[in-house]
Amino acid sequence: MASVRVAVRVRPLIKREKEVSAKVIIHMEGSTTSIDCNKKHLSKGTPGTGLKDRGRQSFSYDFSYDSTDVGSPNFVPQEKVFKDLGCDVLEAAFDGYNACVFAYGQTGSGKSHTMMGSPGDFGLIPRICEGLFCQISEKSQGDVASFRTEVSYLEIYNEHVQDLLTTKKSPENGSGLKVREHPKDGPYVEDLSKHLVQNYKDIEKLLHAGKAKRTTSSTGMNDVSSRSHAIFTINFTQARFDAELPCEMVSKIHLVDLAGSERADATCATGARLKEGANINKSLVTLGIVISALGGDRGGSHKGKRKKQLFIPYRDSVLTWLLKDSLGGNSKTIMIATLSPADVNYSETLSTLHYANRAKNIFNKPTVNEDSSVTVIRKLQEEIVRLKRLVEKNNQALLSPQDLSKTLKVEEKLHKNEVKVLELTREWTNKWGETQNILKEETVALRKQGIGVVMDSKLPHLIGIDDDLLSTGTILYHLKEGRTLVGRDEASSNPDIVVHGAGLLEEHCVFENRDGVVTLIPQTGALCSVNRLETTQPCQLTQGAVIQLGRGTIFRFNHPKEAAHLREQRKCCAVGYISNKEKTHLQRNASSTSSKLSL
Amino acid sequence: MDTTLSTPTTGPRLSHTEITNMASTYSHEWRAVCDKFNNAQDLSEVESRKDPENDPFRSKYKARELLREIYCSLKNFDVGENESVNDEADQRPTEQPVDGGMEESFGRGHCGDSPAGSRAAKLGAVEYYLGVNHVETEELSAGEEHLMNCMTLLEKCSISPENVSLFIQVRNQLGILWAGRDEIEKAQGFLETAEAMYIRYMKEDGQPPMDLTEFFVAEEEALPQQERTKRFEMAYTHTLYYLAQVYKNLEQYEKAGGYCHSTLQRQLEFNQFLPLEWAINAATLSQYYITKTLYMEGRHCLSAASVIADLAGEVPSEAAAQESEAEAEKRDQLRQKRAEIARCWIKYCLNLLQDAKKLLEDNIGELDMDRQAELRATRLKEEEEKERGRKSAVLFGSSDTFDSICGLEEKVSCVFPVDFEEARAIFLVGQTYVNQAKEYFEMDGHVTDHIEILQDHSALFKALAFFEEDLERRCKMHKRRVDMMEPICKDLNAQYYLLVCRQLQFELAETYYEMMDLKLAVANKQDDLDAHTVKKFNHLCSSSTKFYQMFLDSVRSPEGKWPEKLEDEVLRPALVAKFRVARLHSRLISSSKTIQLENLNRSLECYNFVVQYCKDNPEAKSAIETELELSEEMVSLLPLKINRLQANLASSN
Repeated sequence: MASVRVAVRVRPLIKREKEVSAKVIIHMEGSTTSIDCNKKHLSKGTPGTGLKDRGRQSFSYDFSYDSTDVGSPNFVPQEKVFKDLGCDVLEAAFDGYNACVFAYGQTGSGKSHTMMGSPGDFGLIPRICEGLFCQISEKSQGDVASFRTEVSYLEIYNEHVQDLLTTKKSPENGSGLKVREHPKDGPYVEDLSKHLVQNYKDIEKLLHAGKAKRTTSSTGMNDVSSRSHAIFTINFTQARFDAELPCEMVSKIHLVDLAGSERADATCATGARLKEGANINKSLVTLGIVISALGGDRGGSHKGKRKKQLFIPYRDSVLTWLLKDSLGGNSKTIMIATLSPADVNYSETLSTLHYANRAKNIFNKPTVNEDSSVTVIRKLQEEIVRLKRLVEKNNQALLSPQDLSKTLKVEEKLHKNEVKVLELTREWTNKWGETQNILKEETVALRKQGIGVVMDSKLPHLIGIDDDLLSTGTILYHLKEGRTLVGRDEASSNPDIVVHGAGLLEEHCVFENRDGVVTLIPQTGALCSVNRLETTQPCQLTQGAVIQLGRGTIFRFNHPKEAAHLREQRKCCAVGYISNKEKTHLQRNASSTSSKLSL
Repeated sequence: MDTTLSTPTTGPRLSHTEITNMASTYSHEWRAVCDKFNNAQDLSEVESRKDPENDPFRSKYKARELLREIYCSLKNFDVGENESVNDEADQRPTEQPVDGGMEESFGRGHCGDSPAGSRAAKLGAVEYYLGVNHVETEELSAGEEHLMNCMTLLEKCSISPENVSLFIQVRNQLGILWAGRDEIEKAQGFLETAEAMYIRYMKEDGQPPMDLTEFFVAEEEALPQQERTKRFEMAYTHTLYYLAQVYKNLEQYEKAGGYCHSTLQRQLEFNQFLPLEWAINAATLSQYYITKTLYMEGRHCLSAASVIADLAGEVPSEAAAQESEAEAEKRDQLRQKRAEIARCWIKYCLNLLQDAKKLLEDNIGELDMDRQAELRATRLKEEEEKERGRKSAVLFGSSDTFDSICGLEEKVSCVFPVDFEEARAIFLVGQTYVNQAKEYFEMDGHVTDHIEILQDHSALFKALAFFEEDLERRCKMHKRRVDMMEPICKDLNAQYYLLVCRQLQFELAETYYEMMDLKLAVANKQDDLDAHTVKKFNHLCSSSTKFYQMFLDSVRSPEGKWPEKLEDEVLRPALVAKFRVARLHSRLISSSKTIQLENLNRSLECYNFVVQYCKDNPEAKSAIETELELSEEMVSLLPLKINRLQANLASSN
């Protein structure tokens, strides 16, 4: 459910803007907002570069609310904003989730209109509160649950937290209230006052009181309210009996008034800490921020490249710290950025659009740094190879599809296969029933993977994979320098390797080893395939090749020297192995210059 | 070139004489100019902070007027002086000077400390202050014009102790200005020229130059040499700092890192730093070096950070903190910053171990002997090279801190460990810092930080385990990880710490998985799979499953419904968890065929889930390619195994 929704809303031109005959430079279409590049601004800023027209810049958000013209059919009223965004917040609160509503925008961009509104044209906050109390009274009537709603209101200025609803004086040295975390209760502000409320009237009163305090405390300082964040939090507890057991659900709704970016210079920790773009920070006070941004290219954590875990001692701002339980995860986050439509506010508006555009990245954090250990995958690959071999054995024993695929009978047999599924299964079952004891052993071997007999062999060799279900042994044939003939028992030429089985000629093929290069030379008319590809021509073998002779005689070709070489190569190009699982499997066996065979 | 710097004469050779000459001639007017300048400075630097919101630049505008008056006065002073006659003629060159063509901007025309040069410098200084004033009041183009006027005036002069500071500072300002307009290369040009000018001046002259403010003070108020040096060096430190930012914006991170390093080094050298702030910055820089696998540099930063942080004084006792707010604040600050530096050290040790592991592991994550031998060999070679490199590196520290920094460096290696002994030494240092960091970041009050440190501790164990050859002992190391994480995972409220909970669940699941594999490997070695081992194995298997399951449950809605679509941030972890659970089910050992069958069916179900989810949400495929491919194969192969087992079961009944 973790979702961040970002909306931008543009207000009508105000009197002052009309007086200077400001032009509207914001256009909205669907969820897209675009801004006309301000030529005046450009020409004023860079006399040398002339009137470069950079045209229009577009941004896409979840919602773009055009409220420039009340008369227009596209005009977005408060109601619509609430329906799109506020309803979700309410729903989340009743479900026991936390929610956050951020408001961002230059002073005078209509932020408080959107958030608070005016009598008769209420904004988001009154509507959310009303919805809350409405549902509470509905639910309380049925005696289903009881509710408790408490609010707190705080301000963050220069990373110091101040309670806006307390009558107590804040500590003299101005260090503010402490922000802490409790394992069960989450992040909290020590000694922050909480106030019980029954209805929106109560809330409104507290909002006003807090605002008043915010202004008075700022006398003497320059424009504090636009450089400080304010968080109004509704703590909302539902208590009910669930199967006779008391059960409590707490959720928080944070309404956050973000500091405007205007004139918040970089030395001031509030608001945008670093100006965007290519700007240079003048003061060495910000050296730390520059250093901590150096790891810029470590962001990309694409596969294969481990993302390093670092510690950057620039703490999250108090704001993110306090809201971390309500950002990401299962909470609902909404951000509304308000804009002035006028060209005179071009640069502020543009920076607001940029900020809103980045909002999703700011709030969404990755969940789990999973350890992409290859072992699990590797072991499973081994098992798959084993299972596949089982399938092949069965197929060969029953159907020999490779063989059939060449004949016209293929389709017929395959069809038969489908029709006779039950029959075949039974047949198969019986076969397995007979070999029950062996099967038992096999299952044990499956479990005891890892135990093996290691046969060291420096020479290229073949390993016979017997299709006889009753066979438990494995044969290894060395391919010595020179020719190794493969053929049937009856052959007059005394084959070096004697094979039995369907589709084999008396002299079937020759393995020729010349200086460690092994070539398979099929004899005329012999059915040979290497890695499933049928061949009648001499064929050079590579490590791990699977060789099929006749219809069911299968060998695996191992070449320890080549394997060692392959291994060297793999060191250089780490991960490209996964696509060919079988090969990898065999390579791995060979990588210890030995063959590890399951018993 | 006839424009090189004049040869140093004995004694202070600054053109104050010019000023005093002038002062005697126009002593009254001159005093007025000085007063105005003082006033303007005060308005600009002090008064402006109190300006009201609706008139934010009031004092700056007042300062600007004064500067303009000064400019006019200066012009008038010169009337009657001989060279002002042809002044207008060469006032406007056809082209504005733009930096880049370095050599040219190195003084032509007047010697820097000739009367004409001095006059140009003074006018240039006023132009400079006017330029800065306009920039500060957001009138960039006017500001640029004044700054360029300053450049034009200076262009006619050779560099001298009188004007070199102006030469550099005007370029600093132009650098900031152009960077603000997104013309970063232009900014780079000005700043690099400033850098070159400093280097050349220091090589060819090097005496403490005059400060900008000294153009407009009475002789008796001239700054002492030491102060001049300090201000001049500070201006240059800023040049380097701006260059660091320029390179960062150009994404030349290596250069940017180097310039940050130099900036820090100069702060230390000229004693212009706050110990805690400096230490934190150095510690942060170490993290950058870690990303670049530059462990020697990283270690140097960290050692310096630790030593300099100690200069901030003793941590006030708890009793003292209770007495006074200020002491409490100081205590908290010191403890926090030192704990943060400790955390940077932890990351250093951890990454050093992990990077070494990466180099040494084979394709199934085990220590590869060949690679070990290889690394040993390359390490020997590199060590010599590094020793040479070290002499050219920029080192931190003054005479009194240098030894302590070196001493600290010697306590931990900066080369990749190749065997258990070496890995253990690094691990132990890391563990010491873990304990140090935990003292401040306690669970009560610092939940997230505390857990992050625990996770690092766990990761340290994990990395060390890689080097341990004895499987039993390796298993015990993983057990330690479980012991530190499991209780916390249970205590934490997922509503507030969902992310942390999920991380812990996943890591616990993985750790149990690893232990399970190790147990099996041990049993296999002894060729002995007795009932006790099987039980243990199954327990580890189920524990791993349990934590994956907990993680998966955290994705469900409060009603326990699985979401139709997984959010991006949990997509891969959730599907991986399913995949692992599938595997775990099939690995449980049981002698009962019925239970075996049950487990296999569960396993199949989970593989099916992964396959089905990716079918329904094709965009998920790319996130778990390998696992999906394997799951698909298992979905096609497992039924065979199941059938076989079923058949087996049927036939034995």
